[in-house]
Amino acid sequence: MTSKIINMAERMKDEQDRLLESMFESSPIADDGFSETIVRRIRRKLWIRRVIMPTAVLLGGLVAYQPLAALVKGLYPLLLSVQGDLVPSLSESLPSLQLIITGALVLVVALFSLNMIED
Amino acid sequence: MAKGEDHELVARVVSAQDTQAFGELIRRHQSHVRNFLRKLTGDFSAADDLAQECFMRAWDKLHTYSGSGSFIGWLLKVAYTTFLQSKRKSKRYAEILEQVGHVSDLESRTHALQADEVTDLDKFLAVLSEEERAIMVMSYACGLSHREISDATSMPVGSVKSVIFRGKEKIRTSFDIKDHQHG
Repeated sequence: MTSKIINMAERMKDEQDRLLESMFESSPIADDGFSETIVRRIRRKLWIRRVIMPTAVLLGGLVAYQPLAALVKGLYPLLLSVQGDLVPSLSESLPSLQLIITGALVLVVALFSLNMIED
Repeated sequence: MAKGEDHELVARVVSAQDTQAFGELIRRHQSHVRNFLRKLTGDFSAADDLAQECFMRAWDKLHTYSGSGSFIGWLLKVAYTTFLQSKRKSKRYAEILEQVGHVSDLESRTHALQADEVTDLDKFLAVLSEEERAIMVMSYACGLSHREISDATSMPVGSVKSVIFRGKEKIRTSFDIKDHQHG
């Protein structure tokens, strides 16, 4: 009921409203390839997301693996020395820790590359 | 414009990333969006660039469209946000240019280029603030209801009505509409 009243009130236009409507009225703009241009941009964006992501992960992994492995290797004795104070089972979980760090860094590199490519 | 068909197309885009369905949505609404932005910017080329950005953003944010209002209302909200952000960016750009010693004549150049194409509507729009212009265009050019404008601008319905009233008053006093209505 209330919305009906509001709609009626909106429809009660004075002469200035009608004049403004006629002033603001504009002829439709032809598409002329406008929509196709945007659809192409979107398809390219989708393609980049789908194809480049695994490639970026792979390349990032290849580039990052060696320095990361060296870093983890360097840190390994340090972690071993403090493992007794922190978690008794840390030494058992170290191999997976190495994998986690490598994986996380590869992911960061991949996301960073993807952003750069998209921009 | 069939609201149900819009909703169906939106559902296809959101569920399956259907670019053809999105293309159809663009074809249906591009004229409204481009006209809206042309009236806001006064620059056809800049408006079309903004319209492209608006549709790209709409693609990314389509899942946020709840379907409660009209799709064109939602789209004009995206267009208005895109316009405001671009305006902020060019303002910053102008400030940087001024800081490094370049006088920014971007705006005056834009207007000068189209000075010979100034219409009565452009004169009307010139007396309005940016916010008033956007709301008046949504109301009189795009035919949005006060509720839809309220959703698009994130303003209460009462404020939308006041802005429209104020805009009309400004136009009335600036151009003496009552005396020269159809002249």
